[in-house]
Amino acid sequence: MLNDIFIAPFADMIAAPDFLMQVLWEGLVSGVLYALIALGFVLIFRSSRIFNFAQGIMVVFAALTLVGLHSFGIPAWISVALTLGVMFVLAVSIERVVLRPLVGQPDIILFMATIGITLFLIGGGEIIFGGENKVMITEELGIPTGDTVLEPFGGLLILQHLDITVVVVACALVAALLAFLNYTQMGRAIRALGDDHQAALSVGISLQTVWVLVWFIAGIIALVTGIAWGARAGVSFALEVIAYKALPVLMLGGLESITGAIIGGLMIGLLEKLFEIYWGQPLLGGNTETWFAFVLALIVLLFRPQGLFGERIIERV
Amino acid sequence: MKHFTKLAIAAVVAGITATSTLAQELYTPNLAYRTGPFAATGIPLMNGQADYLNMLNARDGGIGGVPVNPEECETGYSTEKGVECYEKTKGRAIVTQPWSTGITLQVLPKTNVDEIPILAPGYGFSPMMEGKTFQWAYNAPAGYWDAADMILQYIEGEGSLEGKKIAFLHLDHPFGKEPLPVLEAAAEAKGFELVPIPVGLKEMQNQSAQWLQIRRERPDYVVMWGWGAMNAGAITEAVKTKFPMENFIGVWWAGHDADLKIVGADGKGYKSISWSFPNPDAPVMADIQKHIVDEGKTQSNPEEMSGVFYGRGIVISAILAEGIKVAQDHFGTAEIDAKQLRWGLENIDMTEARISELGLDGMVPPFKTSCNNHTGHSGGWMLEWDGEKFVKASDLLMANVDSYKAIAEAAAAEYAEANAPWPVNEECSE
Repeated sequence: MLNDIFIAPFADMIAAPDFLMQVLWEGLVSGVLYALIALGFVLIFRSSRIFNFAQGIMVVFAALTLVGLHSFGIPAWISVALTLGVMFVLAVSIERVVLRPLVGQPDIILFMATIGITLFLIGGGEIIFGGENKVMITEELGIPTGDTVLEPFGGLLILQHLDITVVVVACALVAALLAFLNYTQMGRAIRALGDDHQAALSVGISLQTVWVLVWFIAGIIALVTGIAWGARAGVSFALEVIAYKALPVLMLGGLESITGAIIGGLMIGLLEKLFEIYWGQPLLGGNTETWFAFVLALIVLLFRPQGLFGERIIERV
Repeated sequence: MKHFTKLAIAAVVAGITATSTLAQELYTPNLAYRTGPFAATGIPLMNGQADYLNMLNARDGGIGGVPVNPEECETGYSTEKGVECYEKTKGRAIVTQPWSTGITLQVLPKTNVDEIPILAPGYGFSPMMEGKTFQWAYNAPAGYWDAADMILQYIEGEGSLEGKKIAFLHLDHPFGKEPLPVLEAAAEAKGFELVPIPVGLKEMQNQSAQWLQIRRERPDYVVMWGWGAMNAGAITEAVKTKFPMENFIGVWWAGHDADLKIVGADGKGYKSISWSFPNPDAPVMADIQKHIVDEGKTQSNPEEMSGVFYGRGIVISAILAEGIKVAQDHFGTAEIDAKQLRWGLENIDMTEARISELGLDGMVPPFKTSCNNHTGHSGGWMLEWDGEKFVKASDLLMANVDSYKAIAEAAAAEYAEANAPWPVNEECSE
């Protein structure tokens, strides 16, 4: 038993380094996508202290809108622009109709409101687009679909061009987001609201504008995530489930930390894949990805309740 | 007082009217799933089911002159919601169609008490084939153990199973685990290695770990028990990892045109066992076109209607309608109740002639139920994706029921003992 846990997995890694590289690559791709979803949660939480339960369904809604618009004969990139427009209108509507009337209410009320938004988008999406599985317009968007086969150590490593594109686009999006938050006035306003709500309002930062902006950015992230996941296995309401994979990322990285979302996503993507392949499948019958990330996050929370990069909250009692 | 009398009379009249209105229909609720992660599978099936029964209503005024009410109760494939739907609809229902193995397992003991037949064509709990034990449950025309046996037969037709390795990729759900007893017994008897690979509900669209395991194990074949979004996820990963598609075979719920269209020509060679096949030239399709599509009463579309799952939905409703017809003829009444339908469902004789009479030519193989055979064991065809659509890749395969009859009897006895006191149909001696 000890051999199976402490020696055999590492012996397997050394015996088949090409396979280990494939596992790490698949973990990296998953991790980047988890990080992307987690970023959507973090941005909204930082600026409004709202845990956005609707982030998952926003991924589905954005992807369905894109595919739906294209099905009317609208060129792919114009469909992307129109989808961004729809996500902006959604952000404005959420701020006006849902969030503004609830300013000052306890966090749990706002959280419940996002559950309401989720149900609304599920129902609306099903009425408008139907529940059938749809094909993502991968080729029309010019996303490469082939693969590159390498033979490291005389073995086999398959790199999907789609996955490479996803990693590159996700990294670019994260870099752009960080630049926006650090070097623009609006970005600093978002950070200021995250640091201290009252202070930010007292210097004239508009809560409404910032909320619209962060929900719109979350919509952009949802669209990119929807295209990436949709290109892998089709666009359906099942995509919503993937967003729940971001929950342990947030627990691990901390709800307010952008760095935490990125590092947490990558850690979980890589570690859950390594654990599943080298320990889960041989020793536990597989399917450990369902729970591994949560157990990992729980262990971290035992020692750092605020997550790896979250802020330690000290409240007066 | 006058007002009270008038109100009382009105209430009585309304009650009588309502009762007579309710009695003049055959209420066959469907615990449908048009929403959620499994909707892609559910929608064409539900559309086929609804269109067939609505066509009978429009063309013949129902069955035996009584309209059918095929009301749907949405479950989203959730077991909890399914049980709620069962409780909500059971009052007037002459049948319940649970539409998931999880829901079937939950309502199975309830239907025994409520005396409502379960109709679960091609799904549910496989030991339901033992009609003597499961008096109220039917999964005709074929069950999961039939499917497992037929898939193994097909593989065996390409060479001996001895020494081969078969990966069993399945949804980590009661449905996905259903064929394991038969596959494990066959592995022992025929000398092949079975590698079960579960896919969690949250991992349906990201199966890279499962397919890395398949790459490491290097199986000769992958047999898939997938439903909903799992199928598209598995097929795209198979293409991605360059697994030979001709050695990838799914159960009948993993043979949906829309899932394969995501990979298109790359999915060429993928196979799925099936007890139904779409036939656009079948007379029933012309009737649906005339009475439902042309009247704007369908929720379907031409592309979906040419697919495997829409056609299967039609066959499922045709099995129900045949059970109703058999019961009506036997009991000499058009307004049958649940008990009478139970008798009808276990006396279906779907011969080639009867299939043709119903306009279902080529859409389902012949089968026959009896009091001890609630599955029918129709057999099935191996379908193959040709890059654009499914085509038949084999003649009719028949399951070797004797090879797992003992397993079914043992499982039925175990179920009855675990749920004692469990009534058994002692009159059934077949």
